[in-house]
Amino acid sequence: MNASTLGKDTPQVNARAKVLGRAQYAGDVKVAGMLHGKVLRSPYPHARIVRIDVSAALALPGVKAVLTGADAPRAMWGVHHKERRILAEGVVRFAGEEVAAVAATTEEIARDALDLIEIEYEELPAILTTEEALDEEAPGVHPGRNNVSHEIQFHLGDVDAGFAQADLVYEATYDCHSQYPGYLEPMATVATLDPEGRLQVWTSTQSVYQARMRLAAALEMPVSRIRVMQATTGGGFGGKIVEDANSLIAGLLTVRTGKPVRLVNNRLEDFLACCSSVPERVTLKLGMTKDGVIVAKDVRIIAECGAYSGLSAEVMHVTAMRSDNMHRLKNVRSHATLVYTNNPPHGAFRGFGGSQMQFALNSHLHMMAEKLGLDPIEVHKRNAHEAGDTSIHGWKIGSTGLRECMDQCAEAIQWQAKRANRDRGTGAKRRGVGMAAAMHVSGNRTIGNWDGSTVVVKVNEDGRVVIHSGECDMGQGAMTMLAQVVAHELNIPLDHVYVAPPDTDVSPYAIGTLASRVTIAAGNAAILAGRKARQALFDVAATKLEVPADDLEIVDGFIRSRNAPDKRATIAEIAKLHIWRHDGEGLQVSATWDAKTVMHGDVHGNIAPAHSYAAQAVEVEVDTETGRVTVLDSYVSDDCGKAFNPLAVHGQSNGAAAQAMGWALYEQLQLENGRLANGNFADYNMPTADSIPLLRSGIVESNDPNGPYGAKGASETAILPGAPAIANAVYDAVGVRITDLPITPEKVLAGLRALRQSREQEQGGSPHA
Amino acid sequence: MRDFDFLEPASVAEASRMLADLGEDCRVMAGGTALMLAMRQRMLVPSHIISVARIEALRGIRFDPVEGLRIGALARHTDVADSAVVKQHYPMLAAMAAQVANPQVRNQGTLGGNLCYADPSTDPPTCLMSLDARVVLGSARGERVLSIEEFLVDYYVTAIEPDEIVVEIRVPAPPADFSGLYTRFLRTAAEHRPLIGLSLATRRSGSTCREAVLAVGASTPIPCRVPRAEQFLAGKTITPEVAAEAASIVAADIQPVSDARGSAEFRRDMVRVVARRTIAGLYGLATD
Repeated sequence: MNASTLGKDTPQVNARAKVLGRAQYAGDVKVAGMLHGKVLRSPYPHARIVRIDVSAALALPGVKAVLTGADAPRAMWGVHHKERRILAEGVVRFAGEEVAAVAATTEEIARDALDLIEIEYEELPAILTTEEALDEEAPGVHPGRNNVSHEIQFHLGDVDAGFAQADLVYEATYDCHSQYPGYLEPMATVATLDPEGRLQVWTSTQSVYQARMRLAAALEMPVSRIRVMQATTGGGFGGKIVEDANSLIAGLLTVRTGKPVRLVNNRLEDFLACCSSVPERVTLKLGMTKDGVIVAKDVRIIAECGAYSGLSAEVMHVTAMRSDNMHRLKNVRSHATLVYTNNPPHGAFRGFGGSQMQFALNSHLHMMAEKLGLDPIEVHKRNAHEAGDTSIHGWKIGSTGLRECMDQCAEAIQWQAKRANRDRGTGAKRRGVGMAAAMHVSGNRTIGNWDGSTVVVKVNEDGRVVIHSGECDMGQGAMTMLAQVVAHELNIPLDHVYVAPPDTDVSPYAIGTLASRVTIAAGNAAILAGRKARQALFDVAATKLEVPADDLEIVDGFIRSRNAPDKRATIAEIAKLHIWRHDGEGLQVSATWDAKTVMHGDVHGNIAPAHSYAAQAVEVEVDTETGRVTVLDSYVSDDCGKAFNPLAVHGQSNGAAAQAMGWALYEQLQLENGRLANGNFADYNMPTADSIPLLRSGIVESNDPNGPYGAKGASETAILPGAPAIANAVYDAVGVRITDLPITPEKVLAGLRALRQSREQEQGGSPHA
Repeated sequence: MRDFDFLEPASVAEASRMLADLGEDCRVMAGGTALMLAMRQRMLVPSHIISVARIEALRGIRFDPVEGLRIGALARHTDVADSAVVKQHYPMLAAMAAQVANPQVRNQGTLGGNLCYADPSTDPPTCLMSLDARVVLGSARGERVLSIEEFLVDYYVTAIEPDEIVVEIRVPAPPADFSGLYTRFLRTAAEHRPLIGLSLATRRSGSTCREAVLAVGASTPIPCRVPRAEQFLAGKTITPEVAAEAASIVAADIQPVSDARGSAEFRRDMVRVVARRTIAGLYGLATD
């Protein structure tokens, strides 16, 4: 019997534990003698710390430590720019920056102690916009540097010549705001010293090895003195890759007190501590022939990283060049500038900079198609790469389902029929449809010259399997994926496979969950490891059963001869025999898969083993009197190569569609003088069930040659087309083109007013002409 | 959240004496939806919580053709929404209660607690004001009955005395020709608090409005009636033009607040739209 679940709707292997409340999140971990941490944050976007007096806080019964910048190691932490202290010293650069940390016997005492810390600040002028930051007279947010954190410039082909041959040149500027990741579980860590004095950390993270590396650097400890274990993680969306200070502060408190310390952000603290997505202003100029072929592309980007750059430079890199690889381009110029301000830091977020550019590009293609009398879908298709192409940046396109994604969406939303019917009604509520398409990477050779993954498979003496991988499941389904692959290779039931959570002392080295890399990298490694384990079983079974190993198969828990099925032994018997023989050992294999990619030299190079595509079509209703936009229908089509688990892919697609709707319509971080004014879910409005339609999604299987069984990443691409699809639909409905997100009622009403005025002028002006 | 003593009086008089004894250090808890948030954020740090959950006098929803409706202060929003008598005699009140905040709050929060919190961005007070509801306050000293106008003093401020609790809410029996509609308007569909609550209670004869009570809340510090619009509507046959003119009066006469959720100008514009749609909708006219 075939036990495989590949391609079948499969509940997540860790769902039951979560639903029953048994899953252990970091905040659930309890260690004897554990203290509770709390963090005091700067109320000012920019200030000099004149004096700190912690004596009253330290005197409070139950308080075990009050640490400030002076107590933290000298090391600075950060991704590229090492520019941030665990606790600020001398100066604070954003409102919310960590200034002091308390450890006390209860959380309430720790919180009481915060009120007793006396800090004298001298407020300094704060730079709160990129315009101010780029002023030549502006002081540097960081000493000795101007406010340009990073700059990318490239020119491929001849853009000016391209524009000269274009029939239509169109330029517009798009403003993309910042989005809070809004995962269910705020950041949380429990740290302790083990009996050998090693730092042992349970934390909510997307990468245990990145967390270990960062802890080692920031605490000035050898990596081998640190053990990081991933607790069950309630969502990450990019926010839990490497930019949070939660685990660093917990680690510092533990090292300084010698006691276990639990540090769990409440929601407001998490709003203040977590990097939100990078706000970017994208100016896009495209040249097109009258047939819709893009002949020149010119991009200018001003991106804001806030006070510390984190991963923002990598994010901006994606904005600057990833979308170029969707289209057969010859002439591209891009200039992107990342700017420091005294606003809270920005960084990685699902889509990793793709959303910003795709909002601009898809809005743009819609407008240009209209001007040329073309269907935007046709414009996408005319420019889209085919499998086998190499893009302008050297990306080798192994598979692409972009066209099929668009076709699925068009059919689902009745694109042709609804666009042909130009009657939008005469009442206050007008309907329109919109479409957008996007690409994303599956894997990215960018951290260093390895984009691989290692999977260890152990076959226990009862014939069941334990998998070790360092890749984190933060809700996206890595554990289920790994279990499905190995169960498929061994043809054993899914519940005979257990995936151990990542643990740097036990799990193989891993990059972690980012760049939609886990299915392609760890999935391929799991295939190799599963096959190695099967071969090891067959080798032992061949001796015992006295048949050739290549005659063996695994069926219904037995290893048996294909030719003589009565020659058989259970997997358990063979796994035992693998140990209990001369020179035996427990059956444990390890396999590594590394992508055949290259690190990009500046912007050129095949960095990803595969590329995922997605499209989305929406129908909206715009209330022209209230400016409210209601999404009536949404269909996301995702080309994930091969859907191991359609249930999970649909879940990712629908979750992404909801998160994109939040970015496009509902969510907005409100900064008042650099201070977050709405760090709670009453005032920061994530989509609710009431505010999204029944979400529909489809799957395209383009079977990538590099993918495990053809699979590619299926978690990030689907967030990219949502905002421009909605903006295009709003434009289709009422003729208002919103270029700055979010699409608020006020902006829609202002656009309608402007439209009326220009129409009145046209009508009023002509009789006199 | 700091530790606190949890007191469970069994009568209004007992609760009142506890309140009088403990003064500022205690807080009354009904559903606790707002209180728990405030305590977790340490905006409130009471030493004692007085739970009114065991006071039977605060429970139940009853209707009497003469006395009208009596809603115990502990009735949850979902109880009001699902009550057969409320649905039968005050459909606009049931429909309003079915929309308050979000399902979590409706299943836990109470009508009495909602009124005592006096959050401006909520629905019940506006709707109750248009229905001429009364708030019954109880204490060891006896009972007081206040109109909603008298009860709500300012945003987050009520006329309740330190030793009083809300016992019940009374709503007069509706006249036979009653016709009313409450509109909860959200700036975007994802928000949990209304930008505007607009409540219209009329006596009606066909398409003619004989009498009107119109209250606006959520965009004003406390709900307010709009007498000029009420007078304008009284005796008029409701046409699209009448609805529009009445809406303009409503928009002109209110003093909207201005905050992060909407400028005064935007709120005034939306009040105009919501008022026109509510009047037109109640009288069976097209709303757009």
